[in-house]
Amino acid sequence: MINNQLKINEAATYLGVSIDTLRRWDDKGKLKSLRVNQGDHRYYSLAQLEEFLTFSCVNLAIKWAGNSTGEKPNDIFYCSDSSVFQGRLYKLRKALSENKEIEAFFSLLISVVGEIGDNSFGHNLGNWPDVIGIFFAYDIKKKTIVLADRGQGIFKTLKRVRPELQNDAEALGVAFTEILSGRAPESRGNGLKYVRSVIGKNPISLFFQSGGAELNLNQNNLVLKIKKAKKPIPGCLAIIKF
Amino acid sequence: MVIDIKKFGAILTSRQLGKEALAAYLPNFNNISESEKIYVNFEDIDVFSPSWGDEFLTGLYKKFGSRLILKKSSNASVNASIEMLEEANSIKFSRE
Repeated sequence: MINNQLKINEAATYLGVSIDTLRRWDDKGKLKSLRVNQGDHRYYSLAQLEEFLTFSCVNLAIKWAGNSTGEKPNDIFYCSDSSVFQGRLYKLRKALSENKEIEAFFSLLISVVGEIGDNSFGHNLGNWPDVIGIFFAYDIKKKTIVLADRGQGIFKTLKRVRPELQNDAEALGVAFTEILSGRAPESRGNGLKYVRSVIGKNPISLFFQSGGAELNLNQNNLVLKIKKAKKPIPGCLAIIKF
Repeated sequence: MVIDIKKFGAILTSRQLGKEALAAYLPNFNNISESEKIYVNFEDIDVFSPSWGDEFLTGLYKKFGSRLILKKSSNASVNASIEMLEEANSIKFSRE
């Protein structure tokens, strides 16, 4: 990389795609290279690639959460531990702080993101099945925030304290409505209930999936309609829109 | 005695950091009298969550009960979190 410009092979590695895919995207205009003339080598700027990733962050998170094998996501989305996540929450705060449209619920929005991310770390500490940590990204232009983990999922976590739970859907219902902890004997576990309460009073929507169950919540629809997910994931996926 | 929450940071959402905050702060109570009130000031806090609050505020409530007094805050996440903690733990914080 020279002056933050990447050759096509470096850009392909950075994005996790093949060189042929990048050539095809260039030709179709999906991701234009910086070359001036047709015969020149293709170059990409780091900023351009980061913007491209950010634009695709929801799809990348869904793909990452559902992959059969776990690999670390791109560094710009990867929070390996809670301190990295905490640092990126500060970046999110800065990115959102000048948005007057969300001034009234700015602190609530970030606290919801903090709760969901902190849940992932708290409930999987020492028990991550493959990739340790979470995928955390946001696209301010699209007013979208996404978090995902490849942890144990809510069902497995809650079953420790509620052995009668039968499946992902029941576990999701309990997590969003009942106060209890998946980390017994500690008497905790109000994070997702708080999330639901905040969404009920503010223009924030949430898609949440854990294992094979999913739900959608928004200000006008707090009824928990838990559905079977199209594709099960091992951990949790949250897509927040504001 | 007044605890200025801003001294722990502007974004307080991590349960782990809430636990550490309480552990680090507890020695400050070694020499206070049994009748002294503990005021909690949320001024200049940007983001607060029930997880951090459960470790710090609920921890202080268990130690001091009604001697712990929460000052008024205009921050929506502070107020929503306190409401959640009261509901979750079946307690009622004293307020100024």
